[in-house]
Amino acid sequence: MKYTTRLAVALVAATFAGSVGAQELQVPNLSYRTGPFASTGIPVMNGQMDYFTMLNERDGGVGGVKVNFYECETGYNTEKGVECYEKTKGDAIVTQPWSTGITLQVLPKTNVDEIPILAPGYGFSAMGDGAVFKWAFNMPSSYWDGASMILKSLGGDDMSGLKGKKIAFLHLDHPFGKEPLPFLEAQAAAVGFELLPIPVGLKEMQNQSAQWLQIRREQPDYVIMWGWGAMNTGALTEAVKTKYPMDQFVGIWWSGHSDDLQVVGQDGKGYRSISFNAPVEGAPLMADLQKYVYEPGKTESDAEQRGEVFYQRGLVMSMMLAEAIRAAQAEYGKADIGPKELRWGLENIKLSDARIAELGMTGMVPPFSTSCSDHTGHSGGWMLQWDGEKFVVSGDHLMADAAAIAPMEKANAAEYAAANAPWPTQDCK
Amino acid sequence: MLYRTAGQYKTSYRADQALFPVRQDAVLLGLILIFAWVVFPLSASEFTFQTILIPILIYSLTALGLNILTGYAGQLSLGTAAFMGVGAYACYKMITLMPWMNPVVAILLSGVFSAGVGVAFGIPSLRIKGFYLAIATLAAQFFLVWLFEKWAWLYNYNASGAIQVPNLTSFGVYVAGPQASSMVQYYVVLAIVSLITLVSINLTRGNLGRTWKATRDMDFAAELIGINLVKSKLTAFAVSSYIVGVAGALFVFMWRGAAEPNLFDIPLSFRILFIAIIGGLGSIMGNYLGAILIVGLPVVLGTLPRFFGIDIGSSMVEHLNTMIVGALIIFFLIVEPHGLARLWALIRAKLIIWPFPH
Repeated sequence: MKYTTRLAVALVAATFAGSVGAQELQVPNLSYRTGPFASTGIPVMNGQMDYFTMLNERDGGVGGVKVNFYECETGYNTEKGVECYEKTKGDAIVTQPWSTGITLQVLPKTNVDEIPILAPGYGFSAMGDGAVFKWAFNMPSSYWDGASMILKSLGGDDMSGLKGKKIAFLHLDHPFGKEPLPFLEAQAAAVGFELLPIPVGLKEMQNQSAQWLQIRREQPDYVIMWGWGAMNTGALTEAVKTKYPMDQFVGIWWSGHSDDLQVVGQDGKGYRSISFNAPVEGAPLMADLQKYVYEPGKTESDAEQRGEVFYQRGLVMSMMLAEAIRAAQAEYGKADIGPKELRWGLENIKLSDARIAELGMTGMVPPFSTSCSDHTGHSGGWMLQWDGEKFVVSGDHLMADAAAIAPMEKANAAEYAAANAPWPTQDCK
Repeated sequence: MLYRTAGQYKTSYRADQALFPVRQDAVLLGLILIFAWVVFPLSASEFTFQTILIPILIYSLTALGLNILTGYAGQLSLGTAAFMGVGAYACYKMITLMPWMNPVVAILLSGVFSAGVGVAFGIPSLRIKGFYLAIATLAAQFFLVWLFEKWAWLYNYNASGAIQVPNLTSFGVYVAGPQASSMVQYYVVLAIVSLITLVSINLTRGNLGRTWKATRDMDFAAELIGINLVKSKLTAFAVSSYIVGVAGALFVFMWRGAAEPNLFDIPLSFRILFIAIIGGLGSIMGNYLGAILIVGLPVVLGTLPRFFGIDIGSSMVEHLNTMIVGALIIFFLIVEPHGLARLWALIRAKLIIWPFPH
């Protein structure tokens, strides 16, 4: 009976787990404070957590009901992620899967379980097509937006400066790194630049000498990086070693972690990273956080971290979710909303400049709005440049090339829906 | 007293060689089967299905496949995950090329492909042994994962490079994909696992199993008594890879729902090897015990703090979990280096003579 009893214990434990009070809104976050990507995960998770702690302390939650923002640890491991999703979905109003692998697996399930999936700045770019991806949201910007903004900042608004140029695309050989490839290929054909995809295998992240040898040989005009975790530091140190000009080296928002740049310090001066949020240390929001969260010691973050891009990105992500909760509460006239109501809320975020100022976040995030057909919001973003010590905003606010992205989003979403038939869609007028 | 064998007389060779010569074993298995087929499915929550029941069954099956090769035929393999990958990708290609195909049939057929690949990589075993063979299978591991990444045809030129399980029906019921209910998937997995386990038990007890064991214990001696080593080793590779391939297809189609190439990388191979070693090499039941310890226990441990209302951070739970499971593994290996199956065998032997130890 040894293992039957053990299984029976498991059963009992599992049925009782997950029964928590219904007075609060349950917002799980599938965090990764352990494992190989922990260093990049911790600041963002802290930011997300602190924002809701602040709301609970200052306003008593959102719309009068407290938000129980809790974490389920995945270690960036897909198996654990699915376990967390199953564990939390019972009373959760949203799921935040965090890794591309977990998103891949959870996305089809959320349709059946009817829980909105919030993947700010990651996941499929095609998720922006709200008519097809009814339950998925990736505002404020998708990877294709990021790629388009990078190209625009390099080649000017019409990208004419890129004609005849050679661009190396250094990316993690993984669904995440491959995501912008179709868009970049299409743009290369349309604008007339040469695209040189250079994959970095998961095992080669820390040793990219072969890739950088290729870069040295090919001498591309620009290197665009889609890196994550250990790959960023690997690439930056190799770039310094091969003396690749830093002002021709640009990364996506996940490649703009201050800690990664600190490794190369002054040598990394000039490196840029596109971002949908910008660090503003003196923002009014930070004062509130100081008063309600940091001083009473209700945080896991440290003072140094709080001014950084990643921590503040966490704040922005939670702010978007809180705005969605507010929108849903106003629409349905009740504070205790469920996943279906929140889905409507996520679809109707109206983040104007005035609203951002009201939230005390001026300059931290560009204004955007979502709709039934647009689940991304396409806020655009800023280029952040490493000045040797920290990231500073460089240049104006950039917008992605919507005319090029929208048809691709539609086509890819339709393809996904066809491959996963029967796939529920919604009608957007 | 519970395990009293007194009075159970065997009057024929047939009875003596029966699958369960001791009646209590049969009763125990019957009880387990009733739990597995009736009690669990009726009482389990979605969470239990998805994180405990289905994964334990699938991991057990994979470990069983490895155990046939390593535990019974003595050929060390570090490429299990890659052979799982072959099964999963083969199943994916069959399903997408021939959408009319019954998914359960496709899963059972996908093992044929991995068996073929397994035999190909098993050929070096005719010349090399032990650690050297482990290196050869390691080559399979690296090569196949690389192939899953680079050969875009395998994942239908999908931009993300991952395979995603579509909604599949068998006789009008969804068995795979997001629309499938966990209970249906559990029953499909359970049926296939039960069937393969039954076949494996009989295979290892029969002529083929005996040639494997002879090869394992001393291949020179085996050859001298007339065992064809080529046949023995290659059949072990074929049967083992078939089971592993089927398990791989189940892994992706009945449980994960999607897979990227690096899922089938070395960590998974090691995990399965741990299950087989801790469960007990050369044992069928050990695979189940090992999978319960390695796959099921961490999940249960993870839910305990919340169950008792202890408020600790989820990352702390994860750290504690890793430490507890690690300590348990060491504990069990100290108590019984031959695995949990052997531990059970000792307990059973003690129970049979209890309460009179002499």
